[in-house]
Amino acid sequence: MEKISKEMLTALRQTKTVSALDAEKLFGLLVDAIQEYAIFALDPQGNVLTWNKGAQKLKGYTQEEIKGRNFSTFYTQVDLDRHHPEFELQKAREDGKYEEEGWRLKKDGTKFWAHVVITAIHDESGELVGFAKVTRDLTDKKMAEMALRESEERFRLMVESVEDYAIFMLDQEGRVASWNRGAERNKGYTASEIIGTHFSKFYPEEQVREQRPQADLEEALRNGRLEREDWRIRKDGSRYWASLVITPVFDRNRKHIGFAKVTRNLTERKQAEDALYYAYAELENRVHVRTQELLEETKKAEEAVKARDQFLSMASHELKTPLTTLKLQSQIRKRSVRKGDFSEFRPENLIELCSEDERQINRLTFLVDNMLDISKLTTGNFKLVREDFKLAEMVQETTERLKPLIIEKRMQLSFQMAEGATPGNWDRRRLEQVVSNLIMNALKYAPASALEIRVDEQDGMARIQIKDSGPGISKEHQERIFSPFQRIQANENVNGLGLGLYITRQIVEAHGGHISIESNPEVRKGTNFVIKLPLKTALHPKGKA
Amino acid sequence: MGAKILIVEDDYDIRRNLRRLLESEGYQINEAENGQVALEVLEADPELPSLILLDLMMPVMDGFQFREKQEGSARLAGIPVAIMTASAGLEEKQQALGAKGALQKPLEIDDILDVVKNCI
Repeated sequence: MEKISKEMLTALRQTKTVSALDAEKLFGLLVDAIQEYAIFALDPQGNVLTWNKGAQKLKGYTQEEIKGRNFSTFYTQVDLDRHHPEFELQKAREDGKYEEEGWRLKKDGTKFWAHVVITAIHDESGELVGFAKVTRDLTDKKMAEMALRESEERFRLMVESVEDYAIFMLDQEGRVASWNRGAERNKGYTASEIIGTHFSKFYPEEQVREQRPQADLEEALRNGRLEREDWRIRKDGSRYWASLVITPVFDRNRKHIGFAKVTRNLTERKQAEDALYYAYAELENRVHVRTQELLEETKKAEEAVKARDQFLSMASHELKTPLTTLKLQSQIRKRSVRKGDFSEFRPENLIELCSEDERQINRLTFLVDNMLDISKLTTGNFKLVREDFKLAEMVQETTERLKPLIIEKRMQLSFQMAEGATPGNWDRRRLEQVVSNLIMNALKYAPASALEIRVDEQDGMARIQIKDSGPGISKEHQERIFSPFQRIQANENVNGLGLGLYITRQIVEAHGGHISIESNPEVRKGTNFVIKLPLKTALHPKGKA
Repeated sequence: MGAKILIVEDDYDIRRNLRRLLESEGYQINEAENGQVALEVLEADPELPSLILLDLMMPVMDGFQFREKQEGSARLAGIPVAIMTASAGLEEKQQALGAKGALQKPLEIDDILDVVKNCI
């Protein structure tokens, strides 16, 4: 308008007589001068009568080019096809004015977005003399609008398509106003099902009762934002753990129009967290269990070492007894020689001297063999050497060999065996060991008592029974007695290291047999060791026969 | 006759050899194979020995138990004791039992004769 005033003034100054101003001419100058608007006149048929600078600028035609031509030239083919120019004139005729926005064509064929006003012009008599047309270029605005709409559309599509996040709008009251794929996926409702419903539907019942939804909206409005993790309810009633953000939304005029809500399903994350937690707990538990196991194993190992040390200590102690005797014998003889007493070295005595030593050496050998047996048993190298023999014969021979001791201990020996008993296939040496051991036990624990030895067959098994009439062995001792190092009395020191019965049982079981005790101290009927052996040795894990 | 010594020892051959040795030195010997038998022997004999050679590890009644019983008996408490053992800790055991002498197995006869001389 400033420009117009300037031009008007210029035009005015150019006119010499201000008072004799031609109003019409001025008006013409005015219209012509305006460049922002295309202002031109049409005759009743729509042909261009006048043109202005704005029209030229906007549409591209010069006055000479366009005068007399129909204004439909400015219309797109689409509008021409639907007879839009005629329609506009018709409307303007009827209503006096027609206004619209639409596409128009420039001289070079390019489109522009126009705001158009067509006004019907009547003369004094009311007859239509033509139309005034004012057109304004709104292309820029239109482009901006289109760009905005396009961008909004793109944004909408993007939000719509996001699957992992529920992104939706609420109105001011909290009713669902929009929905996206993520919301559908998270909560289970389709858009048509949920739009219009209040968003408290997603809250757990107890929170609705506490009026939590309302409180959340108020807080969001107050602080500009609300962020939280909480339970949410799906359409099917199931719960999921969610992260939620509520943001109030204002329009351009700062009017509150609703809320934007973004909800993320944290169930997977929570499940992963829970799984991790449980994995840790499980791991800790296993570590604990394993530690316990290791502690137990350590304890067992320590006990084994302790047992071995005890064993070695006892072994050393045991071995010292025959060694003591050997040494005494040796030193006594030396002493005699130094004193000049050769009486015990008479030729007829020499054999006895050697026998004395040999007896002790035998005892040592016995002890050492026991220790070796233990070693073999514990390392799984215990082997049986089988042969055919009659069991009763072997038992009788072994008993004979121990006769001197039996007599010394004043036992009353009785021997019972079935005639020709009992042929079989066993490790002879080992079974001799067993019989010796049990007889020796009877001598130790039940001296001066009756010793009954019986060999027979029962239920297809060979049976050896060695019974004394001593004090007997109580039930609890019976249980421990076959363990290595076990003695009836803790402080007892009897020849054999306490291994005898342990080895005895190992030998019997290696043959696939069984050894048991019949004894009751209260009844004072002594102790009966019962050994049962299969006639042919079955393969047994302990003895690699 | 020389002084009387009671040998309390469960091993037959050790007893036999100790008897040989000590008798050849002129001592009078009694034997017992464990603490229980030793008490019976002492009970039965009006003449008390001048020394008890006491093995510690024996069945039925060991050296420790015997010593308790001995000390509890007015008649027997005064008899000096020399202990014999194959175990370690000889000095501690000697002290604990209040023994006048102590011998480590395997025995050295010089040590035996020394201890016997000192204790009687």
